[in-house]
Amino acid sequence: MADTNVPPTARKMVIGLQDVSDMAAASSSDRADKGFDTDEEDDELPTEPMTLNMGPSHPATHGTVRIVLTVEGETIKDADVQVGYLHRAFEKESEHATYTQIFPYTDRLNYVSPMLNNVGYALAVEKLLGIVEDVPERAQYIRVIVGELARMADHMTCMAAGAMELGAMTIYFWAIKGREWIWEILEEISGARMTHSYVRVGGVAYDIHESIPGKIKALYPKLEVILSDIRQALYENRIFRDRMDGIGVFSKENALSYGWTGVSLRSTGVPYDVRKDHPYLVYDRMNFSVPVGEKGDNFDRYILRMEETYQSMKILLQCFEQIPAGPVVVDDPRIVLPPKQAVYNTIESMIAHFKIIVDGVKVPPGEIYSYTEAGNGELGFYIVSDGTGRPARLRCRPPCFLITSALREMIVGGSIADIVPTFDMMNMIGGECDR
Amino acid sequence: MADPIATPPASAAAAPAPPTNLISLKIDGKAVTVPRGTNVLEAAKTAGIDISYFCYHPGLSAPAVCRQCLVDVKGQPKLVPSCYTPVAENMEVVTDSEKVLVARQQMLEFTLVNHPVDCPICDKAGECTLQKMYDEWDGGGSRTDVPKREKPKAVDLGPTIMLDAERCILCSRCIRVCDEVAGKHQLTMSIRGDREQISVAPGQQLDNPYSLNTVDVCPVGALTSKDFRFQMRAWELEKVDSVCPGCATGCNIEVHASKGRVYRMVPRENLAVNKYWMCDEGRLTYHALTKGRQAVATMRGTPATMDKAIAFASDRLASVIQSAGPGVVGVLLNAQTTNEDNYALAKLALALGTDRLFIGGHTLVPERQDKILMSADVNPNTAGLRAIVDALAPGKAKSYAQARADVAAGSLKVLIALGDQSEVGVEGQAELGKLELFISMSSWQSPVSELAHVTFPVAAWAELDGTFTNNKGMVQRVRRSIEPVGDARPAWEIVRDLGKRLNAPLAYPTVKMLFKEMTGAVAGFANAQFGRDSLPVLLRFAGSRG
Repeated sequence: MADTNVPPTARKMVIGLQDVSDMAAASSSDRADKGFDTDEEDDELPTEPMTLNMGPSHPATHGTVRIVLTVEGETIKDADVQVGYLHRAFEKESEHATYTQIFPYTDRLNYVSPMLNNVGYALAVEKLLGIVEDVPERAQYIRVIVGELARMADHMTCMAAGAMELGAMTIYFWAIKGREWIWEILEEISGARMTHSYVRVGGVAYDIHESIPGKIKALYPKLEVILSDIRQALYENRIFRDRMDGIGVFSKENALSYGWTGVSLRSTGVPYDVRKDHPYLVYDRMNFSVPVGEKGDNFDRYILRMEETYQSMKILLQCFEQIPAGPVVVDDPRIVLPPKQAVYNTIESMIAHFKIIVDGVKVPPGEIYSYTEAGNGELGFYIVSDGTGRPARLRCRPPCFLITSALREMIVGGSIADIVPTFDMMNMIGGECDR
Repeated sequence: MADPIATPPASAAAAPAPPTNLISLKIDGKAVTVPRGTNVLEAAKTAGIDISYFCYHPGLSAPAVCRQCLVDVKGQPKLVPSCYTPVAENMEVVTDSEKVLVARQQMLEFTLVNHPVDCPICDKAGECTLQKMYDEWDGGGSRTDVPKREKPKAVDLGPTIMLDAERCILCSRCIRVCDEVAGKHQLTMSIRGDREQISVAPGQQLDNPYSLNTVDVCPVGALTSKDFRFQMRAWELEKVDSVCPGCATGCNIEVHASKGRVYRMVPRENLAVNKYWMCDEGRLTYHALTKGRQAVATMRGTPATMDKAIAFASDRLASVIQSAGPGVVGVLLNAQTTNEDNYALAKLALALGTDRLFIGGHTLVPERQDKILMSADVNPNTAGLRAIVDALAPGKAKSYAQARADVAAGSLKVLIALGDQSEVGVEGQAELGKLELFISMSSWQSPVSELAHVTFPVAAWAELDGTFTNNKGMVQRVRRSIEPVGDARPAWEIVRDLGKRLNAPLAYPTVKMLFKEMTGAVAGFANAQFGRDSLPVLLRFAGSRG
């Protein structure tokens, strides 16, 4: 790996575990025997830069992203990373929908962990309404529970895809099986496997069933088997290590200047986690640690996701112990729909229902920035309200957009094969990045 | 309008001492100065303080029957209705104390006791004052456990209005609109107590020409327009500010449309023109937008593309001018269409070298004239057209009858006619048939346009941006609220394209630039402003109604 001119990983793959320099020496002596000119300078084939499209439809570009590569042989001389193929005008659409109608749109941001987007958006609206403190404790615990489940699913998906794209199909099936169990729980809570729209302004749509904590706990042994299997299969695997370890290294300073957050930032050694540094909901009552990486490479990001999955499991257990009984939405007829029985039978509740559905929840004029720790890092919502039932402006800070902006710097100089693990481990999610 | 730069802004220090007919008082601790005779409710509005009310309307007298606007006036033992209390010097009013808010909430609760659970089927839902007031000032649940009082539903009050007596909250606004605006006492309260309801006298009906204003002022869905009811949910409509094309008064209106179709027109407040009202006839003019429209260009009666029709018309025009000179060409302007369309066509005529301008439009309807809003002149732009021809060709404009006489005499061989000539009778058809070239630019099909060698579909008033000049000389903006039907385009665009092919270029890329040139050229329009374009606003988010 000392030779910086030759992409080390690619060569190691070809020749297995043998020493690189031995082979190189052997091959040049072979060629000398056969009468070739062995002068190193002339040994290179004449090349010229070639432009190559990677994506927008490429198996390793989840969602769709296009990387226009300028390559010389296997070496990347330049890369033009083009995002936006999954642009749905989320922000503009939100200006034409009531605050409640925006929840389904947030599901489609980071569609691997929609609950975290739901929670982040709800907190922003509540902050603007000034009711963050009024949201019942039970609702806050439920939001932490569904959020951490979503985080586990998010991390497991990333681990699965990351391994698969390096050839480890088995790992993909193991991890996705585990994710599916988690999504089954979320489906049982919200009614939808993936696009939950479960959170509401002022709380959550409905209470979780009393059997849910038991079902999650019953899942733990099975998940732990999966996670330890993955560890055993990958951590000492030469192919995996060679393509992850020391690849996609990014410095702490660079990461901060690019606005990285989440696992990607923590892999460079910065212990920034919104849940710890700016606690929201009931995270200040949770005992969990924020693991950080050492080198800022792909392998660090992989093992951080593994570790954070365990931390989420730990948080969930604490939630089950602490969660109180009680209502799951605020008690305010201007924010929360009245019970259906009352809507159909009394004019007062009919009007209240009508006004929330048609006009939307009226949010006082003002602006707010609210941020939470989502699967990829700090998911922020900046909302400007003009006092009506829809935002005058809604800006979403997608964590992976800022992380993806560093992709060019990370891959230029490396080889084509390095793009795949590096791109995988920054976990760019089209729905979130392109909005 | 004076040049804004020439007038220095009046600073607070330099302002003269207020005249003695101003009253200073305090509302919620805010100092307010308003003219003597203003009521407390209006005074509070000037300070941005919101007081709920049902029966009060700024354009009507205040009976203080709904008791929703009660406020606390220092020195008064009981709460007083703010709509009925004139301001007095040094008065201190409180509108947000616990006592006032409780009274407000309890009045709403009282009003809702017998209100039916009709929102899902009610035409007013979404723009209902009762819904709005409940949302703002009550928010509580129901405490009644007795059945609601039943009253007649779907009562036919007249040719335009249906009454749902259960929904009525007896604010009496509709009675006062008929009394004070239309000048006809056609509605009244009948029976007493909780059976009380709005009704007309036996054998009578609500049929005054301003009856649909009762629907606008009704704070609930009690009075509904037969024209609009069950057609569309109000909150799904998009509003655009415009001007009624019905007559020379030029009432300011909002056009409410959805997905390319106009569903209704409602009056828009303009104290200088129509105050808060408009006539029923004007309100229903939107129906013409979908009836008998000219949707495609035709050449000798055969449908054609716009480009082909423009090429055909301009080539024919050029050959006639070449053989007979421009003097045989005349243009028929029209008081039904906008200033911009008329100006462009008049300019084209002058550029071609002819000054034979004829003035068309619908004939006067004298029996229509009243002292309220309706004018005998059913053309929205008579004054504007007159100003344009006076400026461009002083003394040259002739009547439409003269044009027909000229055709009969053979001195007029080409006529480019703008707008709707559907009122021209059979006697006119015979004469126009003798034209060598007859180009019609109309929004509607008519017996006349069937005679034309080339017809162009023209965008109607709701489909274009432009201006009408009303009978007071006010240049008022018409705004596009729906897409033109078929291939229709604004007439000034067709005129511009014709001119381009005839080497008589009229350089107007946009209607706004055309307007700017026109204000420079036409004396009467010198101070007119085109105003801002307004995007359609969805009523559910506009917060402007109810």
